[in-house]
Amino acid sequence: MILGLLQHISIQNLIWLICLLPLVSSCINWLLSASSSKLPSKAANSLASFVGISGPLLAFFSALIVFWVLTGIENSEAFAITGPLYQWIGFGGWSIDIGLRVDQLSLVMALVVTGVGTLIHIYSIGYMRGDDGYPRYFAELNLFLFFMLLLILADNLILMFVGWEGVGLCSYLLIGFWFSDIEKAKAGKKAFVVNRIGDFAFIIGIFLIWKMLAGQPIVGGSPLNFETLERNAAFLLPIATPVCIALFIGACGKSAQIPLYVWLPDAMAGPTPVSALIHAATMVTAGVYMIARLNFLYVLSPLALNIVAYTGAATALFAATIGLTQRDIKKVLAYSTISQLGYMFLAEGVGAFGAGIFHLVTHAFFKAALFLGAGSVIHALHGEQDLFNMGGLKKYLPGTFAVFFVAALAISGIWPLAGFYSKDEILWQVYERGYTGLWVIGFITAGMTAFYMFRATSLAFFGNLRIGEDKKHHIHESSISMLVPLVLLGVLSISGGWIKNSIGTFLEPRFASVTLEEVTHHENMEHILAVISVLWAAHWAFVAWIVYVQKPSWPEAMANKFRKIHSLLMNKYFVDEIYDAIVIKPLAWISETALWKGFDIPIIDNVGVNGSGRVVGFFGKLAAVLQTGLTPHYLFFMVIGISIVVGWLVF
Amino acid sequence: MPNLASMSFFIPELILSAVALILFIFALVSDKAGKKGEYASVIAIAGLLASAVFVLKNFNIGSPPLFWGLLVLDKPAAFFKEIFIITALIVIIFSQRSNELRAGANDSAEYYSLLVGSVLGMNLLASANNLLMIYLALEFVSLMSFILVGFARGSSRSSEAALKYVLYGAVASGVFLYGASLYYGLTGTLDIKSFLTISPSPHLTISLAGLFILAGFLYKIAAVPMHAWCPDAYEGAPTPITAFLSVAPKAAGFAVLMRVFSAAGDGFNWPLIIAVISAATMTFGNLAAIPQTNVKRLLAYSSIAHAGYLLMGVASGTPRGAEAVYFYFAAYLVMNLGAFLVVQIIANTSPPLMGGDIGEGGRESLAAYKGLGRRGASGAILGITMTIFLLSLTGIPPFVGFIGKFYIFAAVMDAKLYWLAFIGIANSVVSLYYYMRIVKTIFFDEPADAVQPAFSSRRLAAILGVLSFATIFIGLYWQWLSNIVAAVIA
Repeated sequence: MILGLLQHISIQNLIWLICLLPLVSSCINWLLSASSSKLPSKAANSLASFVGISGPLLAFFSALIVFWVLTGIENSEAFAITGPLYQWIGFGGWSIDIGLRVDQLSLVMALVVTGVGTLIHIYSIGYMRGDDGYPRYFAELNLFLFFMLLLILADNLILMFVGWEGVGLCSYLLIGFWFSDIEKAKAGKKAFVVNRIGDFAFIIGIFLIWKMLAGQPIVGGSPLNFETLERNAAFLLPIATPVCIALFIGACGKSAQIPLYVWLPDAMAGPTPVSALIHAATMVTAGVYMIARLNFLYVLSPLALNIVAYTGAATALFAATIGLTQRDIKKVLAYSTISQLGYMFLAEGVGAFGAGIFHLVTHAFFKAALFLGAGSVIHALHGEQDLFNMGGLKKYLPGTFAVFFVAALAISGIWPLAGFYSKDEILWQVYERGYTGLWVIGFITAGMTAFYMFRATSLAFFGNLRIGEDKKHHIHESSISMLVPLVLLGVLSISGGWIKNSIGTFLEPRFASVTLEEVTHHENMEHILAVISVLWAAHWAFVAWIVYVQKPSWPEAMANKFRKIHSLLMNKYFVDEIYDAIVIKPLAWISETALWKGFDIPIIDNVGVNGSGRVVGFFGKLAAVLQTGLTPHYLFFMVIGISIVVGWLVF
Repeated sequence: MPNLASMSFFIPELILSAVALILFIFALVSDKAGKKGEYASVIAIAGLLASAVFVLKNFNIGSPPLFWGLLVLDKPAAFFKEIFIITALIVIIFSQRSNELRAGANDSAEYYSLLVGSVLGMNLLASANNLLMIYLALEFVSLMSFILVGFARGSSRSSEAALKYVLYGAVASGVFLYGASLYYGLTGTLDIKSFLTISPSPHLTISLAGLFILAGFLYKIAAVPMHAWCPDAYEGAPTPITAFLSVAPKAAGFAVLMRVFSAAGDGFNWPLIIAVISAATMTFGNLAAIPQTNVKRLLAYSSIAHAGYLLMGVASGTPRGAEAVYFYFAAYLVMNLGAFLVVQIIANTSPPLMGGDIGEGGRESLAAYKGLGRRGASGAILGITMTIFLLSLTGIPPFVGFIGKFYIFAAVMDAKLYWLAFIGIANSVVSLYYYMRIVKTIFFDEPADAVQPAFSSRRLAAILGVLSFATIFIGLYWQWLSNIVAAVIA
């Protein structure tokens, strides 16, 4: 029987497996969750964790095998498509198929998602132990992984959109995982609604593509297939700018860029591993991935690329400034994520798609490590998230400290850790392509990144313990199931950048080249800039350590001195309040007063629904009254009826 | 074709005639008290099955005119004959386990004889190609129906219904005969193809003749303005007979109506008249159904409305419209018989409440359905199957009624009768209200009593299963049925 199964092992089937294994796990866990009241909770939870881990782990192995096989073939690209499993939608000569596509780009993404995803799943066993919704948690996390892989591996825009919406759904479910807390449920709703705005633009983009391609002599199969789209991109030239901008707004929603970033800080309401997986390492990079996937469209529109670059740079700086003042450890990391995503868009905007994806990969490693480290701290302190109530945890949580410290170095861009290579690559590409202004913004942001990361590190792990005596003896290092993924991610945060050259050449065939104005290679300049930026980051990291460990009175003094700026940053530029005033309040007013009370109740309900019901009921009674039960009356109707028709014929 | 040569194509009708006579004689000579009805029904079933086989055998023989052209044996006629026979077979099974009919058990052999005779009459009507033949067949069917409606002799309600039906039927026959005599006076013949010989364009006198002939058919299918007998007769008749009348004679009426008016061609401007009548019929049926509290009477109005929907297909005047009508009859047979079967089972097993059968709280009243879905397993099954039939009658997917309505509306849109399609759709919405009121009563009202309805008979349960399965199954896989219907048109 096993031999019989072996016959079915093909690259195509393995690709399907990558996608489907998490779905299978999810289904089993949903069943467990639905029947958890009838099962002994211990057994159910053990089974849930076993199933929940196996799916992602096996998917990771499948992805590895696919990677080895495809890269092992001489003289050929790492490329495979499953072909259509079946036709999903067909209309007017168009067809949209269910099919997957593996190429350099999606393979890198799939490895990161399944790899980091597996580690975070393992971490979750310890973190979520004892939670009432344990099987449900794993069901939702597995489901997320399925949709994420669908998004990555889809071979056409529509299927990608299915994954895109699916991850949004899972994000909503997991942010509001503890839905009995109304604030957390609201955070989930906010994330969902803000994402819908982006999704709407995404759909518009797809429609525009469809509208443009309909009726054109297209070469190849289904027009929304990436392959066909790439070959026929020239047809889209006239509307490349609106299409790219619409799709970019979609990316802004999912990847938390200005102006749609507001949901991500609130999304921290979910369990910390969820924040690590969905709101740092994978889902929020979907927008970055989508633009890289459609790079052949973006290179058609320099204007759209510039918008991407400037939005990315602005977001990077803007989020970093907010990050400087936040007190909640997860909020600091959330703004840091927004800022780092800005870097990725900046890279893509200047045409360095490979650099953007490379930063995506390293960021997945060190940001996951940071979040899991933060989770470990929060777990140890029983839910305490305020940095000013921590301090001196180095002694109590040595393992967590080591990983968090390393990851903070990595995100700050200190050589030779992962973040150095990718951030340096981005800054260099920006500089080399002549965007000096954007380079300055990126450079300043890098300094801020180092500062707020070491502010957080110092406040949490150095100095005096500011936690109550009663809680002190509870502090404990996390269990082995949480530490192992943490350490592995720490190792990846160190070494993840060393693949810089190989990943660059590996991804190269996927990206359309953006012609440089001066094709001269300033190797010396690159090294000088790298040294400067390392020193710059190290300097700010050191300053942060001085300020928050050696001179704890300084921050307060500074805050008092620059009261207005401090309160502006502390309150995140009042963006939420502004949105509330100019969007939400008017909308709520229109919906409630005008549409609901002014139109729906009096017009639709009263006149429309009840009114037509009353009219029909009245005529019904009338018709029934005619039915007197007396034969003469019946015959009379007959005579009248025939007479009417005869009259009609005669006149 | 001369008379003797025609005989070999007339076997199905010969069988039915023989069976009807045998059953009469059996009723006289047999002394098996109590078991008589059972044996009679078996004979009737055997006869109908044999007849069905021979109808099928003659399906593909072209369209030979029999008996010097009085009858014609074409595919639509064969299709309708199968519809009559299937309906009769199902209704015989209903009748075997009907409490209303058991009250007069001694007569049940005659009952089956009348039922078979009625099928014979309808078979003739479906093939009739001559106004004289049409009149005879029409009267034949009517006479059988009168007796069957009044068959529950102990019930004054049943007798009253029969009498009304007779009076109304007599007048309707008169109108038809008047039309036929005008026609004969104008054309000198009773062949239905002679509409066209009178004048190239519609002409008032021939139109009047056509109109009066049409009135006779409208009476048979219970369309406005010839509908008034229908609610009373349906309500008073024993439930199996109501089920039978709501499908088979209606189908016969449509068969002859479509035959005559497709022959009439442009000689009489009928499509518009039928379109208006169709709109009036469905609107009246649906509106009048709304305030009803007796489920049987409600279904009677619903069947008037369905005659309206079916007339839409006729009004389109195209082969596609005819195809839609044929398909709808197959669908209507399944779902409508199913709904009446549930009514019968409830009435059989409900305790005799105050008000007897009809009044508030009677066995056929809506009150007897209160909380049915929550009264035990069989209550739940009855509730769910009733819901399936009612949803299908409304025309909601994935049930067969939806497919039927879809074809009808498609044909009407095809014929560019957009106003009629609009009225049809508005009517479907209205009909949802009273159908769903029953469903609401079944599932959401508090049970009036704790009595659990029981399936007194396995055979009713089995036929209920078959009908509800068919309602769903054909709703999902209708292609084979539409292939059959397409073959009928071809």
